[in-house]
Amino acid sequence: MRKRVELIEKIEGEAEVSYTYEGDRTVDAQIRFLSGRGIESILTGRPPLDALAITPRVCGICGHAHLIATVRALEACYPELRISPKAEAVRELTLTLELLQNHFKWLYLTIWPLLFPRESVTMKAVEPSRIAAEAIALLAGQYPHNSYAIPGGIVGEITPLERLGVADRLERLWEIFRREIADVQMQAFLRCDRIEELQRKEGDFPRILREILDRGWERLGCSHDRFIAFGSNGLFVSGKSLATRITHSLDLRHLREEPVEGSLALHVLYRGKVYETGPLARAMLRKTPLIREAHRRWGDSLPTRIMARVCEIPHLLQYAMQLTRDLDMDAPAWIDPGPLPAQAQGTGIVEAARGSLIHTVEVREGKIAEYRIVTPTQWNLGSGPADRPGVAQKALIGLHRDDQAELIFKSFDVCSVCTTH
Amino acid sequence: MDRRDALAKMFSAKGVRVDTNRGEAYYKRLRETMERRLSELRNAPAATKMDIHKVLEAEGLSRRDFMKWASAITAMLMLPAPFTPLVAEAAELMNRVPVIWIELQDCAGNSEAILRSDAPTIDELILETIDLEFNETLMAAAGHQAESHLDEAMETFKGKYLCVVEGSVPVGAGKEWCTIGAKGETFEEHLQRVAGSAAAVVAVGTCATFGGVPAAAPNPTGAVGVQDIVKGKPIINIPACPANPANITGTILHFVLTGQIPELDHLNRPKFAFGYRIHDNCERRAHFDAGEFVEEWGDEGAQNNWCLYKMGCKGPMTFNNCSIVRYNSGTNWPIGAGHGCIGCSEPQFWDKYAQERPMADTEFKAPTGGVEKSVDQFGLGLLTAAGIGIAVHAAISATAGKKDEE
Repeated sequence: MRKRVELIEKIEGEAEVSYTYEGDRTVDAQIRFLSGRGIESILTGRPPLDALAITPRVCGICGHAHLIATVRALEACYPELRISPKAEAVRELTLTLELLQNHFKWLYLTIWPLLFPRESVTMKAVEPSRIAAEAIALLAGQYPHNSYAIPGGIVGEITPLERLGVADRLERLWEIFRREIADVQMQAFLRCDRIEELQRKEGDFPRILREILDRGWERLGCSHDRFIAFGSNGLFVSGKSLATRITHSLDLRHLREEPVEGSLALHVLYRGKVYETGPLARAMLRKTPLIREAHRRWGDSLPTRIMARVCEIPHLLQYAMQLTRDLDMDAPAWIDPGPLPAQAQGTGIVEAARGSLIHTVEVREGKIAEYRIVTPTQWNLGSGPADRPGVAQKALIGLHRDDQAELIFKSFDVCSVCTTH
Repeated sequence: MDRRDALAKMFSAKGVRVDTNRGEAYYKRLRETMERRLSELRNAPAATKMDIHKVLEAEGLSRRDFMKWASAITAMLMLPAPFTPLVAEAAELMNRVPVIWIELQDCAGNSEAILRSDAPTIDELILETIDLEFNETLMAAAGHQAESHLDEAMETFKGKYLCVVEGSVPVGAGKEWCTIGAKGETFEEHLQRVAGSAAAVVAVGTCATFGGVPAAAPNPTGAVGVQDIVKGKPIINIPACPANPANITGTILHFVLTGQIPELDHLNRPKFAFGYRIHDNCERRAHFDAGEFVEEWGDEGAQNNWCLYKMGCKGPMTFNNCSIVRYNSGTNWPIGAGHGCIGCSEPQFWDKYAQERPMADTEFKAPTGGVEKSVDQFGLGLLTAAGIGIAVHAAISATAGKKDEE
């Protein structure tokens, strides 16, 4: 039996994968995260509102999701709380923009170089992510790391000028999608369920798809075929799905975290089982036609996973455009929720770029008594023992080549700083 | 010392004073230094093949766009306008100065900020022309390959490269938990090794400079800043969470121009960026002076962009140029979106300033003296101080003007 340890870099932070082989076939892959900061213990003992400035700093690429999760957790501490449709829409908008910029960057900085190592496409990642970040900055002040959302709403007023600025940048993002990723009509694309139709189009994504098919890798990276998404909004629905069988009721009491030997990341289970979270899970639950078709054809494999994330971009853009158009400018930005109860518990859920993010806060005597963060990558990259593998682990088992392993590992999009927090 | 004196001392201390005009003799010497340095660089081999003008051309940017950018940077670096051609040339020669970027205990937020730095020209400068020999987020190689690439770069450019560090260094119990690279080095060992052969170390972001959020009480990992670990090397601190990309570019460019580090304040921060106080250049300053404050979120004041001091803005205690250069290509900044400054470029901001409460309601001492009894009283105190601050400024510009005429 041969063993090999691979360092995974060029992600946010670093991860280590120890492969075990029989012959040239992978039989086990243990995933370890070797650095952490102890953010949960930093939050303990602080006044609850202070979490608004600390949690965004868990992560430089999805910190906004952490902010919104914190706000929602704090708001859940109130027995009753109302926020205006405007505040809700603006929060959704900035969150959606963060998802968008992550999707673009992941495609060009993480996936592309592994398939086409000789073509440098850094600028294709930088341009859209800059535009998305500017749009967030218009509404939230700056990106990354802002704290513009507070229990009861948002701090500032949105003027027509900002709304125009956001609308303009959404248009530009759509233009970039058409120019670089896939030359399609938005409405036709949102309805499309024929992979061949997409495959024939101009653009980088059809090219990626053709490359994976040419290499005969379309069935690689299959995992448990179990999906979960906790967050719901105008676009996403919560629930779990075993292959295509969907259940919509979820109960957070069944969530359990367990330590992993030699790693700072906790493994997370729902009713004792591992689930995949993220764009593929969301697409399965929303029954996105194109992704259901890919899943029918190839299962929960590498191309299905990549396609699910890329194809979320037009859906997110349409959602963001609609939010911007329908923004009720006359609604108040903030409605006084009164003082935060001195004894309370609350949970905030957000669909972040890589999947469901859950924050739970417990307040006692006006201070944070306990704060728990469960991040998407804990679901997807959690490491179990060889007989109970996690999602990415299962996807890596049975592979014969190192380049396949790296691509499949990164198709889950690692964020090590979030995983250990 | 009464409060008035204490405030006057704080705002007029030499350490925070920005000298924008140092007289002809000084600039003549500086120009000579720069010309010498640039001619040395011109004759040195390029670390990368990238030619900035080709990059700009490919992106459809003209020479004029480039010169516009150069003159903006010249002003930011507090150099007189005639230095613009030198700055432009330095930008062209940036590929002669290798930069090794390492990430320690961080959230990658600073790399993120730089990925979307300023105008498109600067993106190219950063990404293509500056030789980012080793950046964990951006580099092309990965894993063991990257490891040997790092060793090679350190050997080739020994004593010449800038070591840029993002993230804090855990030195507390369990530090062996935080390791990096194939050799399983602790972050501290990794930093010592890479900083050891560098010409200078640039700590980027508040984690690398002062410890940052990981060092927040109870500091579970014993996180400290680079300056607590690295000794005997010039260290430049560029705090803020995230650090402003303009300040990172400015610092690197200054190094290219002079081979030296820019003038620093008492916290090793470049004065060209941290010589400004948020409060002094804030777009809402007039409302502070007029006593118009946001009293609660969503009120008349919030709708009319009044001063956020009573909502916990820490602008009066924070030194940084956010109110001038702003963030995300100058799109906006926190106060522009109606949220107070949280003092993210100051030491210990994570425990002292990062909250919604005004200083008067916290258990921490404002740098201006004792714990205030009420917000209004504190505001009043600052109001007087601000008056003094302005007077000091006025005095400086008056002498500066005179030197100009000579």
